[in-house]
Amino acid sequence: MASWAVRRLEDRLFVAAVVLGSALALAPLAHALAATLYNGLSTIARAGLGFFVNPPPTPYSASLGGVAPALVGSLLLLALALPPSALLGLLLAVFTNEFPRSRAAALVEVGARAFASVPTVILSMVAYSLLVVPTRRYSALAGAFALTAASLPYSYTAFSSALRMIPEMYREAAYSIGMSRWATVWGVIVPIARRGIASGVLMTLARILGETAALLFAVGALRYVVPLNPLGPVDALPLLIFDYALSPYKLFHEVAWGAAALLLIVSLALFALSKAVVKGVRL
Amino acid sequence: MGEMLSEKDKIFYFSLLPPALTTLGLLALIVSTIGAKAALVLPQALAILAANVWDPENERYGLLAPVLGTLVVASIAGAVSLVLGLPLTLAVAELLRGRLGSVLQTLLEMASAFPTVVIGLWSARYLAPFLSENVMKPLYSSFGFIPAFSCRPLGGYSLLTAGLAIGFSVVPYTASIMIESYRLIPSTYREACYGIGATRYETARILVSLARPAIAGSVLLGVARAMGETTIAAMTVGNAMNISACLFEPSYTVPALIAAQFGNANLYRYAEPVLYLAALVVLALALALSAVGFKLVSGWRVRIVG
Repeated sequence: MASWAVRRLEDRLFVAAVVLGSALALAPLAHALAATLYNGLSTIARAGLGFFVNPPPTPYSASLGGVAPALVGSLLLLALALPPSALLGLLLAVFTNEFPRSRAAALVEVGARAFASVPTVILSMVAYSLLVVPTRRYSALAGAFALTAASLPYSYTAFSSALRMIPEMYREAAYSIGMSRWATVWGVIVPIARRGIASGVLMTLARILGETAALLFAVGALRYVVPLNPLGPVDALPLLIFDYALSPYKLFHEVAWGAAALLLIVSLALFALSKAVVKGVRL
Repeated sequence: MGEMLSEKDKIFYFSLLPPALTTLGLLALIVSTIGAKAALVLPQALAILAANVWDPENERYGLLAPVLGTLVVASIAGAVSLVLGLPLTLAVAELLRGRLGSVLQTLLEMASAFPTVVIGLWSARYLAPFLSENVMKPLYSSFGFIPAFSCRPLGGYSLLTAGLAIGFSVVPYTASIMIESYRLIPSTYREACYGIGATRYETARILVSLARPAIAGSVLLGVARAMGETTIAAMTVGNAMNISACLFEPSYTVPALIAAQFGNANLYRYAEPVLYLAALVVLALALALSAVGFKLVSGWRVRIVG
């Protein structure tokens, strides 16, 4: 074995390498956070409250305009996609948690994993050919279909880990007083897991709000009009950021930064909220 | 059903079957839609995959550049997620097993909540020019004889930028699987190492070698995810039907090609089926890689907990 001095040097180098590697991993993300907030908040500061109520600018207009249509579109898509994603995810999680040894539950597990590895741009192509082409129009509904499929594996995973955290003794206590499995699940297990479930809903919500690729060929990017019709085209914040970042106009780049800061702040707030919701759970 | 269920429980079981079947049906619908839409060009699939041309006006298509680009970008991202994910794992699960460790882990979870479009925007505006000036140009002038570094970088939109940017965004995901796995190693191993006087480095080396299958599996899961990443790729890869050994050149990935071309593909006869074929290729690769990755991780977890 090497001498102690050599081994100590090795050990120090090892710790230095771990620290350096971790810093290198976090540095790009920290810089992205700082740069987005810096550029985006300065856009929003210059646009003022109008950023939230105005339509976007044209390439050479004098003012920055706003992102109201994309903001409303994002909320509309969220309202359409969150309920099916959360409900389906919860039912699936209850199913695999209650009947883990059944063949159907095993299939659902495999299916959920496969779902998670389907690239979301492919979901957009599917929404296009199944919903946009037959109805001959881009729609929030087609976008919601793609978003539901894109977020389902996340809601399922979040809910099943929330349910799995509940100790078996609660189930045994419920059975011992003669409660059926149905009553135990909906009257005991799910209520006890409510914080974990609420946190899962928040994370699913963030996933839906931040998703870009699933919307590319589904919603039609109705950029200048505030959308009200779920069967008509809409815009969404991520889509606006994506298109404007790729555009050649400086003004559009500034709007993209503003929208990116808005989206990032909302995502991080949802993350913080989902963490706060699970805290205080003592089982 | 392996277990005996009462009448009432059976009703419960069957009441949950419809959502379960809906989900599996949805998955089948996705795969079969992509397959059916690609069917028109499936007989020529090999020729299309081997050619490299995108000329819808004359109905000439080939996918070689995007397919190779996808493999290169996903490999770079996988390498990044290994090289940066392992130190994060060791920091969180080995060196800092206290307050600081959980802070670092929370930061990682927070990072995985970043929308990819934000990472994409940052990569296009900051990472690409930074890499072009500070990494690509020096490598080109000093090591230009190596094929991967053999071209003069232009602007920074390139295979390397896309690979690194996607790698950075995948690291929190890969690291979280590694950390979860690493924590499952029974503490008796660690105690045995320290008990015979091993240093932190020697201990970590032994534990990491013990966790090798799980680490490999995590990286494969990261590669599978990187392969399908669309937003960041489309914003950084440079979108050019270009095949080159040089990592500094703009090229394409399959999702970036789809993002750029699918919107207008209905104007042509074969553009759409060819893009569905491209999607099918990436879907098959991503599903296969993540299945292998999952098998490695979960198989190892069962063995290590024993």
